[in-house]
Amino acid sequence: MKQSKKRVIFLEALGVLFFILFMLPLLLVLINSAKDAFDVTQYPLRLPEDWGQLGRNVANIWANPNVQYSRSFFSSVLITVLSLLFIMFLSSQAAWVLVRTKSRLSIFIFTLFVATMVIPFQIVMFPLLSWFRTVTDFTGIRLLRTYGGMILAYLGFGSSLSIFMYHGFIKSIPYELEEAASIDGCGRIRTFYTIIHPILKPIHATVLVLNSIWIWNDYLLPLLILGKSGRVMTIPLAVSNFAGAYVKQWDLILTAILMSMVPVIIFFLLAQRSIIKGMVQGSIK
Amino acid sequence: MLLCVIRNRVEEVGKVAKVLLKDIIKIYDGDVKAVDRANIEIQDKEFMVLVGPSGCGKTTVLRMIAGLEEISSGDLFIDSKRVNDEAPKDRDIAMVFQNYALYPHMSVYGNMQFGLRIRNFPKEEIHARVKEAAQILDIEELLDRKPKALSGGQRQRVAVGRAIVRKPKVFLFDEPLSNLDAKLRVQMRAEISSLHSRLQATMIYVTHDQTEAMTMGDRIVVMRSGIIQQIGTPLKLYNTPINRFVAGFIGSPPMNISPAGVSEQDGKIVVKEEGMTVVIPESREEVLRPYLGGKVLMGVRSEDLKFTNEPKESNLNAKVIVVEPLGNETHLYLETKDSQLIARTDSEHGFRVGERVDFTPEVKKIQFFDIETERSLLYSE
Repeated sequence: MKQSKKRVIFLEALGVLFFILFMLPLLLVLINSAKDAFDVTQYPLRLPEDWGQLGRNVANIWANPNVQYSRSFFSSVLITVLSLLFIMFLSSQAAWVLVRTKSRLSIFIFTLFVATMVIPFQIVMFPLLSWFRTVTDFTGIRLLRTYGGMILAYLGFGSSLSIFMYHGFIKSIPYELEEAASIDGCGRIRTFYTIIHPILKPIHATVLVLNSIWIWNDYLLPLLILGKSGRVMTIPLAVSNFAGAYVKQWDLILTAILMSMVPVIIFFLLAQRSIIKGMVQGSIK
Repeated sequence: MLLCVIRNRVEEVGKVAKVLLKDIIKIYDGDVKAVDRANIEIQDKEFMVLVGPSGCGKTTVLRMIAGLEEISSGDLFIDSKRVNDEAPKDRDIAMVFQNYALYPHMSVYGNMQFGLRIRNFPKEEIHARVKEAAQILDIEELLDRKPKALSGGQRQRVAVGRAIVRKPKVFLFDEPLSNLDAKLRVQMRAEISSLHSRLQATMIYVTHDQTEAMTMGDRIVVMRSGIIQQIGTPLKLYNTPINRFVAGFIGSPPMNISPAGVSEQDGKIVVKEEGMTVVIPESREEVLRPYLGGKVLMGVRSEDLKFTNEPKESNLNAKVIVVEPLGNETHLYLETKDSQLIARTDSEHGFRVGERVDFTPEVKKIQFFDIETERSLLYSE
């Protein structure tokens, strides 16, 4: 009894330690967002003396003509939302067809999707650029430095994990539901959108949150596809403009990071319950 | 809107739901023949039960009628119209699935009205039909609930409700009671039967439970390994089974069947089994005469083995190995030299395990089967 109590105390202490460890970067970003450049570099661990500095930093960022934060914010929102919608709709439909079509081809295609999950992004990033250029040469459709190219790339990179997750979940949905729908008068598409799609709600939330975090925060892929001085710019690219070759405006960098974190944190908190449900259902069913 | 309501009413009145299966064959990939030349004629308003052990093809037949399974060859007619190539939604059928298949994200009301909404029925008509069905099934209180908040029995009612609001030509039931506990199953059995009387609709019901088949069906189709063994009324199947399989499958406890020698004694044909000698009545002598000197399979129902206190050489003498008192009667598991039998007796006797007892069979009710083909020697159409 005594032994188990000690164990609980030890585990709780370990939990608190990990919590502090994980929260530390967020805390550092938060307290340094309310400081000027001098205080950030001189007293990074000190609490801010004037929280009003946070508002002034936000105003500076918003007004900075080099960064164009509002435009970048809009681009990030557009790219993230459209990428997520495409990933959600196309991956869920693809997974549904792969689950319900029992053939060697469907198993092969699914295996291919799973296999692409283990290929590091760094291996495909330059071939991807070259392929985008080739597509433009042949079709005249511009993929580099455009919203379309960015969204297409995210769809490609995000769909494999999403299809894998949807696949596992859809397998647990009884096929009789679809048969009942077909007897009730539904065609294939209607069956998917009126019966299957609503049932996928928890896994949709999981897929959306997991993808939104990396798409929203991604720096390397937008850098390659959109470039730093392009017409279209995402928040991570915009924030990087505060870091010049000689001067790094840490106060504005950290405030901009804090501003970019807010939408994702809100989205995560809203979808949290569904994510946990989705993960549990996907794993045990 | 009014025209639509009138059209629906006219359609309902004019519905004749005869289902005809002609030489239906189902072959799955890899040449697995799940159903072989099924010929069934289901009359309008009939309650037809398909029964058989697991893997006998009964569900496949039902699914082919529903359009959920493609027919490899043969013709399927509903209301005189060949429907082989019709989609399930165009066959005017409704199906109750084994696991109910209720849409989990919809309320009970949503589940019940779904099929009508898809078919663009007017809202008032949908509401009226759902209310009516809910009233019949006594689920009016549950209309706002989601399926996960219902018990097994309630889900079953909702699944039936979803079928009846559609007022289809044919109702299909795929083992709908198999997920319920024994008590609820008996209750729902009676409710589905009474629903059939009330709706006067054609119903096709699949089960592996012969008790369900016997108690519910107007007629029963017994299947085995994809082949229809016999079609008939419950009593016809019970009293005159076509072969050993039907004799063993229909009835609980199953019929006692064992090999018996046929010989002639004092000018009469007798059948001897395990020391028991049965003198065959004149009316049945002709069917057994070809087997003189050979063997047949003799089948005796458990209730046709009568306990006797007068030991005779011609009696069946057996050792009691299990006593199952059921209150109103007792089942005795008996062991003879080569086989085991079950006898159904009164509860009053107070048999004990290990004791030796004598039985005589009800001669007129004994069944005989060919030992090779296992076909009944007494069966006639």
